[in-house]
Amino acid sequence: MSQVFRRNHLRVVSSSLLDTASLAFYTRFRKFKRKDDQCRAFVKRVVTSRLFQIVMISTVSLNAFFMVLWTSYKIRYQLFRVLEISEVIFVSIYASEFSMKVYVDPIDYWKDGYNLLDVVIIIIIVIPHFLRKIKDKHYPYFNIADGIQSLRILKFITYSRGIRTLITAVGQTVYTVASVLTLFFVLMYIFAILGFCLFGASEKGDLNNWGNLAVAFFTLFSLATVDGWTNLQQQLDNRNFVLSRAFTITFILIASFIFLSMFVGVMIMHTEDSIKKFERELMLERHVTLMEEKQVILKRQQEEVSRLMRKQKSVDYKSFSELVENFKKTLRHTDPMVLDDFGTSLPFIDIYLSTLDNQDATVTKLQGLYYEIAHVLSLMLEDLPPKSQSSQKSHDK
Amino acid sequence: MATDHKKGHVQLPRADAIRSRLIDTFSLIEHLQGLTQAVPRHTIRELLDPSRQKKLMLGDQHQLVRFSIKPQHMGRISHAQRMLSRLHVRCSQKPPLSLWAGWVLESPLFRNFIIFLIFLNTIVLMVEIELLEYTNSSLEPLKLTVEVAAWFILLIFILEILLMWLSSFFLFWKSAWNVFDFVVTMLSLLPEIVVLGGVTGQSVWLQLLRICRVLRSLKLIARFRQIRVIILALVRALKSMTFLLMLLLIFFYIFAVAGVYFFEKYTRSTRQDLEYSMFFSDLLNSLVTVFILFTLDHWYALLQDIWKVPEVSRFFSSTYVILWLLLGSIIFRNIIVAMMVTNFQNIRNELSEEITHLEVQHKADIFKRQIIQRFVFPFSNPILFLKGFLTSFPVSTPLALIPFFSYDKFVPGLRTPQLWKIACFFIHCLFSPLYYNLSSFFSTDQLDWETLVHQNLPGLMEMDQDDRVVWPRDSLFRYFELLEMLQYNLEERKKLQEFAGIDLGLLSVWESHV
Repeated sequence: MSQVFRRNHLRVVSSSLLDTASLAFYTRFRKFKRKDDQCRAFVKRVVTSRLFQIVMISTVSLNAFFMVLWTSYKIRYQLFRVLEISEVIFVSIYASEFSMKVYVDPIDYWKDGYNLLDVVIIIIIVIPHFLRKIKDKHYPYFNIADGIQSLRILKFITYSRGIRTLITAVGQTVYTVASVLTLFFVLMYIFAILGFCLFGASEKGDLNNWGNLAVAFFTLFSLATVDGWTNLQQQLDNRNFVLSRAFTITFILIASFIFLSMFVGVMIMHTEDSIKKFERELMLERHVTLMEEKQVILKRQQEEVSRLMRKQKSVDYKSFSELVENFKKTLRHTDPMVLDDFGTSLPFIDIYLSTLDNQDATVTKLQGLYYEIAHVLSLMLEDLPPKSQSSQKSHDK
Repeated sequence: MATDHKKGHVQLPRADAIRSRLIDTFSLIEHLQGLTQAVPRHTIRELLDPSRQKKLMLGDQHQLVRFSIKPQHMGRISHAQRMLSRLHVRCSQKPPLSLWAGWVLESPLFRNFIIFLIFLNTIVLMVEIELLEYTNSSLEPLKLTVEVAAWFILLIFILEILLMWLSSFFLFWKSAWNVFDFVVTMLSLLPEIVVLGGVTGQSVWLQLLRICRVLRSLKLIARFRQIRVIILALVRALKSMTFLLMLLLIFFYIFAVAGVYFFEKYTRSTRQDLEYSMFFSDLLNSLVTVFILFTLDHWYALLQDIWKVPEVSRFFSSTYVILWLLLGSIIFRNIIVAMMVTNFQNIRNELSEEITHLEVQHKADIFKRQIIQRFVFPFSNPILFLKGFLTSFPVSTPLALIPFFSYDKFVPGLRTPQLWKIACFFIHCLFSPLYYNLSSFFSTDQLDWETLVHQNLPGLMEMDQDDRVVWPRDSLFRYFELLEMLQYNLEERKKLQEFAGIDLGLLSVWESHV
């Protein structure tokens, strides 16, 4: 027992030691300041400059164009050198971009989704080389590895702001899409098992299309997208299955009409919401910046005037009107000034003066009414005491 | 700025706003710093007007110019109407030809005639094509008639374009619909010219160009307003979907290139029973195949065909097809539908917004007229009216300046109620007590004044460029000063009324105790 206790005690001690050690290490790591700040700033400036972006965009486009050329065997055969050299150039450019960005900010680099996309693409580029080294010459999947090189064009998205905003807006709908797809998968699973049991289990069943679960899934997907479903239905009919028509028609109604239409409806709703939100944020931002600018201008104006007034120590300006007295003298009556803002327009003057007149009229009416109330109350008070005296007298009696 | 008014005055934001407006209008800061000699005297209209610009340039060149940008009411004044009011049209001996051309083009008879001709052209073309195969000699006069009719219609279309050029050459090219009309007519004219030029034979290009005759029917879409609206809405929706289409193209590219590599073995297979073996042979075919899969046509047959070749791994081919179907056909197509729906909804909302905007403007105009009448025939109670007039005396000084106002309009003389408004003001200032008995004119008020003002204020504040006011300079300065002083006066009066109210309450209580 004491051994157990000692072990526990040791464990507790060691865990606390580990904690403190890791804590200390973590704080030290956090406070670790890189000594190469200037170099980092320079590289950061390079990475975020226009020239760099143009270079990257042109590289990606050229790479995409070359990939189109290399799909044809003849061109690949004739321009083999160009293929090799261009591959080397492109891979080196991508690798250097990756290393520069990681150098600038090693920890925050991994938080941005588009940087992760870059990393994935570099891994994809590297895969064929590894495969060729590891596997022997007759590995059947080399062409697959070559095929997925076409994903390199996705780097284009990082540098196009329009597509990024589109993806952000549409990306909100991903969760809904995923849930609808899951529901669809569950539905297909149910019907696949049903179909397998009904049509594919027995020996005289349609083993081609319903033989195992995978093929059943494909058949059902073909029914859902209503492509060539009459052929499948005919094969079932040839084998004289009783329920086949009802099964097929029910599934097509549920999957194709209801589910896929629901898909459209859900996407419409979400696209509308996200676009509205986006536009509202844009308007709000613009409004806020506008108000801020106005405030700044107003404040600056006020400061200027007060500063000017404080500066005038030679003449004793007591108020603003004295300050501009000289200016007023230069104004002539025959000089026209054309203004079109609301404050100096005639409708404003009309409305403002009418409102003031209205205010006066209302206040006068109110005063009149108050005087009347006071007068009536005083009259009531005059009438009251004789009545109370007479009532008291009668009460005394 | 607490230093520049008397002690005991509380700072009013409204007064500060008026003062800052004054400073801004007269550029006082620059003046007090000694930078400029004068206030901006000129507006952008004077700069753009070439005659006044010359005078400006010859004068003092260090003048300040005031810029102001206001939205313009889209007037329904047609080009012909504008031409009518020009001096060289009014004073010439004979009216110019462009005026007549404009009148002809806008007359409904001519327009309907052109629409009828377009329909006729379509029918004539149809008949001509049918008759091409018949070599029956009894149909010869019919063929001749049809040919003549086609030529005649073409000539009338060319005449219409010439008329439009006559009416105004440069405005013709500014409208996209006119350019489209021109292109279509010229395109259909080309084969006729080529035939006349002597090129004979059955060359393919000639036949193709003949087909362009059919394009003349497209001129119809420019004529009907509804079709124009639909096409404009479509173009706008497409413009907002450019990035989506770009993304779709990127995905097309990815899957097409990947498809060529993935199905190399399928393409090179030596089996004889493959139906779709050429579908992934090179990039162009692969692109077409990807598009075929996008439209969900025979995808399962293609997949089963691919499965026949054992060298192709079933897993990768099925993944490819299913992934592309999900991504492209199901998700992307529905995103496109969703964006179209959203765009059309936005367009509809904007249209209705514009209509409500116009309604608000209209109501604001009616409200302005009401204010005029209210001033001419003011309060119902004559005593109150006199009191009202007396209390508004401190502010009546700007009213005295009102007769000096004038209006600056583009087309003078069109807005006579405004002149009447000026006359009414004058009369009000000088002869107001005589009008109190005409108060019954304005007694039907459904809403009280404040609600009415608040309802119409947004419409009034969006003044258009036509509603500018010309102020004399010193009057404007005095106006701003007086307005500021008015704010302080009103504040003082409010305080006095509060005191009076308290005293009145105390007085009545005291009286009741006596």
